[in-house]
Amino acid sequence: MAKAGVEVGKMRPISVPGALWRPLRGTWMEALALVGGVALWEMLGWLLAMPWLPPFSKVMEALVQFVQSGVILANVVVSLQGLAIGFSISLVVGLLVGALMGRYRRVEQALHIYVHALFISPSMIFAPIFFAIFGLSDAVRIAVIVVYSLFVIIINTTTAIRTVDPALVEMACSFGANERQIFVRILLPASLPLVFAGIRLGMGRAVRGMINGEMFIAMVGLGALAQRYGSQFEASKAFAIAMVVLIIALVCNWIVQTVENSLTQWVD
Amino acid sequence: MIQVRGLSKEFAGRDGTDTGIVALDSLDFEVRDNEFLTVIGPSGCGKTTLLRIVAGLIPYDRGEVSINGTPVTGPGPDRAVVFQNFALMPWADVLTNVAFGLEIRDMPKAECEATAMRLVKLVGLEGFERRLPKELSGGMQQRVGLARALAVNPRILLMDEPFGSLDEQTRRLLQEQLLRIWERERKTVIFITHSMEEAVLLGDRVMLMTPRPGRVKEIINVPLKRPRGHDTEKSATFVEIKEYLWQNLRSMQVA
Repeated sequence: MAKAGVEVGKMRPISVPGALWRPLRGTWMEALALVGGVALWEMLGWLLAMPWLPPFSKVMEALVQFVQSGVILANVVVSLQGLAIGFSISLVVGLLVGALMGRYRRVEQALHIYVHALFISPSMIFAPIFFAIFGLSDAVRIAVIVVYSLFVIIINTTTAIRTVDPALVEMACSFGANERQIFVRILLPASLPLVFAGIRLGMGRAVRGMINGEMFIAMVGLGALAQRYGSQFEASKAFAIAMVVLIIALVCNWIVQTVENSLTQWVD
Repeated sequence: MIQVRGLSKEFAGRDGTDTGIVALDSLDFEVRDNEFLTVIGPSGCGKTTLLRIVAGLIPYDRGEVSINGTPVTGPGPDRAVVFQNFALMPWADVLTNVAFGLEIRDMPKAECEATAMRLVKLVGLEGFERRLPKELSGGMQQRVGLARALAVNPRILLMDEPFGSLDEQTRRLLQEQLLRIWERERKTVIFITHSMEEAVLLGDRVMLMTPRPGRVKEIINVPLKRPRGHDTEKSATFVEIKEYLWQNLRSMQVA
């Protein structure tokens, strides 16, 4: 007989694709792969001597210069502000709407088509519309981050709530739990593992939204730097910016993962 | 006293048409106060449906279910359910699981813990209060389920094949433990089972049900003296009733 806990535990495997999104844990294989990758990059950079592939050391040089001149810090702050606001909006709205859709059939039926259509469609398609609405303001790039990250959070939260073991809800009912108690004491904790899978995916998409918004619309922050050096064919500088973005993505993912781990230790 | 009069329950067909499944068809029976009623029947006879109706978890179509004259319209503090698959919260430790019903009823935190602790001891899980369900064996998990139900001190205990998924040895131990607890603090019990031994060993009366549609075939008195234990199974009366049940169940079996 399947036990409730095991059932929930089994629902875990939705994970973020790509090893780079995983927080770098200190296994020696990962360290070896990193060192090997850097060495290969360095070697190819010198051997090929192509303008689009500067050696790793040149990229690092550019990065150090950026850091020293304060360019990076200023732009990281701008980018992260947008990310924080945009992702927070996605998180709050996503969890709320997702929870309602998961619990109430009618809400799900009403919103399903919109959520899935917006999830599937390329988010940048809405950028010009946001531009028209908000004009030349930070609201545009924040809105882009929201459309990038909101829907995957909604969809995962909906599924998470929907797939909570009905035996647990029935158990709560048998003790006379009201709707609020069922939500707080059963649905919320039981759905956490899947909800967090959605938050992790949402975080990844939010970082993508941040850079895309900055590169193609707002022309601020790291995205603007990447755009500028990219179009000026300053490859080592463009790579340096890419490294910074990569690190931000990893750190964001690590934060989500840490919170998740501390809240879902009960999952096998 | 639990009174069931002309109780019928039909489930809608899969495509929502009127060709529904009649799960229960005009059930009539009553359970006296402090009586231990076991319910047995072939699979698909609606035993679990019956239990869930008495628990107030699902509505019924016709007839009446009442407790001391008050019709059942939903779950109530007079009843607690022990579930077949335990239905424990996997994220909560043993003590929190046992205290669940108390917390739902807004009992102060300290009192919750004290009561839960008393029940944890009663079912012999002292020392396991802080363990998670996944760290316990099936038998221990169901003892948590039993403690959780007993914690709210219900007049009526509704048990849905509680030992059905446990192995034979564990099941016997839990049956003995349940008998000891019940003999100490009497409650009205409806106990669903598919085990003939279990039905006779535990019950004051055994209600035999027919498969689809579920009806009451017969209610058999079990005149075995209490306290009972596994020695009871050696008595001639026990064997006789068990044999009688088997004759009836075999004649109903389709497979």
